[in-house]
Amino acid sequence: MTHSDPGSRPAVVVHVRPGAPERVLREICAGAEEEGVPTRVVTVPGRSAGEQDGSMRSTGEHDVTALAHAAAASSRLDVGIAVDAVGAAAVHHGKLPAQRPVTTVETDATVADWRRVGRTAARIVKGLPLS
Amino acid sequence: MPDRARLVVGVDIGNSTTEACLAAVAPDRTVSYLGTDLTRTTGVKGTPDNTDGVLTAVRGALRRAGRAAAELDAVLLNEATPVISGLAMETITETIITESTMIGHNPATPGGQGLGVGTTVSLTELDEIDPGPPVVCVVPHGWDFEDIASTVNAAVGRGVDVVAAVLAGDDAVLVANRLTRPVPVVDEVAAVEKVPLGMLAAVEVAAAGYTIRTLSNTYGLATVFGLDPDQTRHVSPVARALTGNRSAVVVRTPSGDVTDRRIPVGTLELRGSGKTLRVDLATGAEEIMDAVARAQPLEDAHGEPGTHVGGMLAQVRDTMADVVGQDGEEAGSPVEIAINDVLAVDTFVPAEVRGGLAGEMHLENAVALAAMVSTSRSRMRSVAERVAEELGVATLIGGVEGKMAVRGALTTPGVDRPVAVLDLGGGSTDAAELDREGRDTAVHVAGAGELVTKLIDSELALDDREVAENIKRSPLAKVESFFHVRHEDGTVQFFDEPLPSHVFARVVTLAPEGPTPIPTRHGLDHVRQIRREAKRRVFVVNAVRALRQVAAGGNLRTLDFVVLLGGSALDFEIPEMIADALAGYGIVCGTGNVLGTEGPRNAVASGLVAAHAAAAP
Ligand SMILES: Nc1ncnc2c1ncn2[C@@H]1O[C@H](COP(=O)(O)OP(=O)(O)O)[C@@H](O)[C@H]1O
Ligand SMILES: [Mg+2]
Repeated sequence: MTHSDPGSRPAVVVHVRPGAPERVLREICAGAEEEGVPTRVVTVPGRSAGEQDGSMRSTGEHDVTALAHAAAASSRLDVGIAVDAVGAAAVHHGKLPAQRPVTTVETDATVADWRRVGRTAARIVKGLPLS
Repeated sequence: MPDRARLVVGVDIGNSTTEACLAAVAPDRTVSYLGTDLTRTTGVKGTPDNTDGVLTAVRGALRRAGRAAAELDAVLLNEATPVISGLAMETITETIITESTMIGHNPATPGGQGLGVGTTVSLTELDEIDPGPPVVCVVPHGWDFEDIASTVNAAVGRGVDVVAAVLAGDDAVLVANRLTRPVPVVDEVAAVEKVPLGMLAAVEVAAAGYTIRTLSNTYGLATVFGLDPDQTRHVSPVARALTGNRSAVVVRTPSGDVTDRRIPVGTLELRGSGKTLRVDLATGAEEIMDAVARAQPLEDAHGEPGTHVGGMLAQVRDTMADVVGQDGEEAGSPVEIAINDVLAVDTFVPAEVRGGLAGEMHLENAVALAAMVSTSRSRMRSVAERVAEELGVATLIGGVEGKMAVRGALTTPGVDRPVAVLDLGGGSTDAAELDREGRDTAVHVAGAGELVTKLIDSELALDDREVAENIKRSPLAKVESFFHVRHEDGTVQFFDEPLPSHVFARVVTLAPEGPTPIPTRHGLDHVRQIRREAKRRVFVVNAVRALRQVAAGGNLRTLDFVVLLGGSALDFEIPEMIADALAGYGIVCGTGNVLGTEGPRNAVASGLVAAHAAAAP
């Protein structure tokens, strides 16, 4: 789970905002691992609302989608995931328009939803149906 | 002779579609075709309920030609002897696991690889086990993958010989990745609590790209479980049920028993050509069709009460009785209702294995049957009366539809007498022949487009007629990225707008409104093969069967031109399949183009007009 050498291994890139819930990240990565696709987690400090006012609210759907698109752009597999500070997540593909994520989940999602996020990202890589 | 052109409309009421053809007949009998229309048939063919559909089609044709109903001189209806068809499916085999002995599903992501044989132990009891003979660890619902791995690793560390694991959740790879000693892991076993504990079990996971070798081999099972020849015989259905899987679990329970038995499905009784033949449905389509051929011309058929087929035959008979018997005893002979044709097709139905632990599906053999019931009494007169009343126009019942279809087909460029037509409809496939001298014959045989749709629906376990109809009507494609699909012929099509995620990597049909995913795990080739086989088994078989009945001496070589008509002749591959099959008999076969513009549609309606003009005073 290091990102010291970004070019090393093809992987789904996971961009996380500082403070992103550990259990959300764990299940997302597990979802991809079960499918046999590696993930690379990168913490991306941002001018997120949560950090600015110290509250724990989501920085918004727009932020997590844009973050996922950036993650996809930096992935050699063209697939990225983002998790924001309060656990909302998105899956994106580098070739898709920035405002058209493959899928998103809200902060009130379940373990099964987070697994599905990781699985979806992995299946895009594998070229398998997403559900 | 009238001194002005007469405006007439021919109307063909089919089982599925009602078609109209508007024309002006000049005093010298030349016909100018003015417009056509078609609509869904309302009610059962040949009954007064058809009137609404007739009116819709007539008004549609008038509107297209810019004429008014008041200008009409006559409406010409086909002599539609009601022929209705029924469909039924009878499963012949059934795989039952009387005790929980196998898990034969195919989880997308099993873990590890190889074969592990040991006694089943619950994960919750693993820490109480002493080192000893090999064990297979069974993990109940609700366990986290890290906890599973650390519990197994701890046991292995104490010397317990854990050789395999079976999980409820989708965690096999996650667990396998965390084991200190790699073993095969099978996951997504929904009914994991039903795996018997303390029994000898074998777990096998094949390497990526391979299928299991040992548990799908009868002697492999015999070796693993130390079976004698008699026990081996009993275990062979298990091996067959597991063939083609990437992973499997087999647990030996003392009373464990998988049976693959033939279900008694009853018999079909066929009466015709002075004999009564009985044929066991379980013998399959070939034997049944053999018997049907020997009983030609078929006078009637009955199925054994209590079977699906018996029920279906009784039901089409009852429907017909209701339809023609409505207005009591009309003058003349009593109503005769008889089943004149039966088509049997071998098929298979994916059925859930009884006693399976993971929702295993197994393909069971089945026979699909289409039957056609007809009656001696036509109620077209009451349809004609109602149409005349509604439109205020004289309504005549014209010729028999098969014979009219031939006349319509003759308007196809390049066609001449003698000619035979094949009308590929929804419920029946009809053939008619017109020889050089103008003599004609016509027959109906059971089974057409609806049966094809039904076969596709059941063989792919879709349980959705509309999806099956889509699969039938359009070529398949595979969505290969968010921006392109590969059609079944290998060509690639790009899209400017990204395709929706729910179709990503799926096999789809391409409708005008976009790709529609087919809810199946099967690949494109499999779906395509099912589609083509269904069409071949119904239409190629029926084309030959029906043409034999109209060809002189039953010899197909006496035919020159065959024109394909009807809704199913619009299909993108059925016409070429039939043409291929007939090419060997030296027959010129192609899809009709009625009036040079209507394609395979409207033959009967325009034939009615042509016949009327020819016979005009
Ligand atoms: N474009 C098409 N491709 C394939 N099959 C079609 C097409 N259009 C209609 N059909 C099939 O044609 C059948 C109905 O044929 P039709 O001639 O209208 O029936 P009928 O003569 O019994 O009224 C249905 O099974 C339908 O699925
Ligand atoms: Mg799995």
